[in-house]
Amino acid sequence: MLRNALFLALRSISWYRGRSITIILCLATTLWLPMTVRMLVREFQNEIVLRAESTPLIVGIRGSRIDLVLHGLYFQSAAPESVTMEESDYIRDTEFAAAIPLHIRFRTQELQRTQGAPIVGTTLEYFDFRRLKIATGDSLTRLGDCVLGARFAEQSGLKPGDRLLSAPQNAFNLAGDYPLNMKVVGVLGASWSPDDDAVFVDIRTAWIIEGIGHGHQSLSSDAQDQLLKSDSSGPLKANASVLPYTEITDENESSFHFHGDESEFPVTEIIAVPQNRQSQTLLLGRYASGRRNTAICAKPGKVVDELLAMVFRIEQLFRISAILSGIVTGVLLGLVIFLSVRLRAPEMKTIERIGSARGTTALLVSTEVCILLATAFCLSLVTALVTNELAGDSLRQYLF
Amino acid sequence: MNDPMIAIRDLQFSWSIGDFTMGIPSLDIAANSSVAITGPSGSGKTTLLNIISGILPVASGSVVVSDRDLAQLSTDQRRAFRLKTVGLVFQSFELIDYLNVLDNVLLPARISPTLALTTKLRNRARDLLTRIGLAHTAHRSVTRLSQGERQRVAICRALLTDPPLLLADEPTGNLDPDNTQQIVELLIRHVHDSGGTLLMVSHDHSVLSRFDRTIDFSSLCHNRPAAAGDSGAA
Repeated sequence: MLRNALFLALRSISWYRGRSITIILCLATTLWLPMTVRMLVREFQNEIVLRAESTPLIVGIRGSRIDLVLHGLYFQSAAPESVTMEESDYIRDTEFAAAIPLHIRFRTQELQRTQGAPIVGTTLEYFDFRRLKIATGDSLTRLGDCVLGARFAEQSGLKPGDRLLSAPQNAFNLAGDYPLNMKVVGVLGASWSPDDDAVFVDIRTAWIIEGIGHGHQSLSSDAQDQLLKSDSSGPLKANASVLPYTEITDENESSFHFHGDESEFPVTEIIAVPQNRQSQTLLLGRYASGRRNTAICAKPGKVVDELLAMVFRIEQLFRISAILSGIVTGVLLGLVIFLSVRLRAPEMKTIERIGSARGTTALLVSTEVCILLATAFCLSLVTALVTNELAGDSLRQYLF
Repeated sequence: MNDPMIAIRDLQFSWSIGDFTMGIPSLDIAANSSVAITGPSGSGKTTLLNIISGILPVASGSVVVSDRDLAQLSTDQRRAFRLKTVGLVFQSFELIDYLNVLDNVLLPARISPTLALTTKLRNRARDLLTRIGLAHTAHRSVTRLSQGERQRVAICRALLTDPPLLLADEPTGNLDPDNTQQIVELLIRHVHDSGGTLLMVSHDHSVLSRFDRTIDFSSLCHNRPAAAGDSGAA
């Protein structure tokens, strides 16, 4: 009987296809929104929680702990003000934790196929801490080298031996962060984390991009006619057509140097890896007591929990909105079914007069409704998956 | 007379709303015969067919059809009885637009919990369509058929289960004279060929001579006409 009901319902749906498509689209749209948001939230939750839980402590400038964690862990949001390397030295000196400094203030220039990636200035300990392995090429060995995250390398098409420019933070600040032409020396294996979308350099390379360290460009090269403004009297003067970027080469590497005390150099965050739980508690206590005036120490897991609570509130808003639109759609669906049943009353009457069993007409109508609901559910599920796949990253950035 | 196909005694029927009442003291319809019922609109012809087919319950009196006393049957039993024993043909064909010709003929099997849609039944449906010259339209939408073709499909549907009783309620009411003759010929031939019983309501006096017997409904019963005509029964 059910087979026959399915047959008749499918024929009816196919015959009244305009009405059927309208109902399916209305229902699918109503289901799609909460489904997509739920998927995005779950994926966002998984990504964010996993990375937060694998990062014991993060130290940075006093201010928003959420911004600090989001920037230090996921390279998202605006870079916070810097603390100095002194903070890293302090953590190390306490012997409570190992310190991995991060300086994430710059991005690479946009390439044809991809947006600029965050440039993460750090030490080699970061790779061990995150268990990042070089898939092709070599690790960082000297100033100006960079290692690419797996996804960025795939999207940009860059490989070891290629060159990559950092983006100037301010095009009009000639004295400040000058683009650095970095040499790609390696590509990391995929880690399915924000590291896949980043470019890693030695922290001193990041300071060079910031303008703290610098070399001296040779004006006695073949291109000196273009570079020199004057050499007839007094010291050589370069004209405005100096090379549009800094480049560290075998020839000029030795000329690169830093002015000032390294402990005063900036870092945006420091990942602190405590020896044990007690050390962690003690280090947290040091920062909580206010002994470090300018810095705070955050526990990413806890911060992310707070953040997720906000995200869930957003999700709840979407859910309420979806429930309301679901109620409206349900009422409309009920109306459509009611009108449809009335419209098809003669047909149902014929079926009953021929001798159908009691409830056959109800079975036919309910089978039809079930097929419409199931189709709408499947459509919304597929659409949600496609949305998540195609626009998930953009939506996550927009929503969260 | 052999055992009649239909035997009605002291049948009384009235609608709960309105003042229509119908009383038939006695009526016997012989098996293997074709009977036409004529009478003015609103006299209760359709109501009688609905009672004989079990669509309407027997409130008072006795209606025995094919040895089954309908007054003793429950609603579900009457439905099963109707599906097995009675073939119904309606004035407005009452085909399902979203089914093709073959599926319309097979409809009784699709809505019945007891009648299985077997290959044998499918072959019977095709055979019926062949006999009425519509085999080539089996997979065509019924909406693309002419009025006469649609009524022939409706007759095939009524004959699918090879019912011993065929009830036709003005089946030619919407047809032109040519199609009317064809449809009546088809029904009469079925009765003669397969030995069934045909009870047909008709206003068309040109076809009455084809039937074994004609009953004037006015003389058959004492009743008061319904205000809105008898097609509103059910």
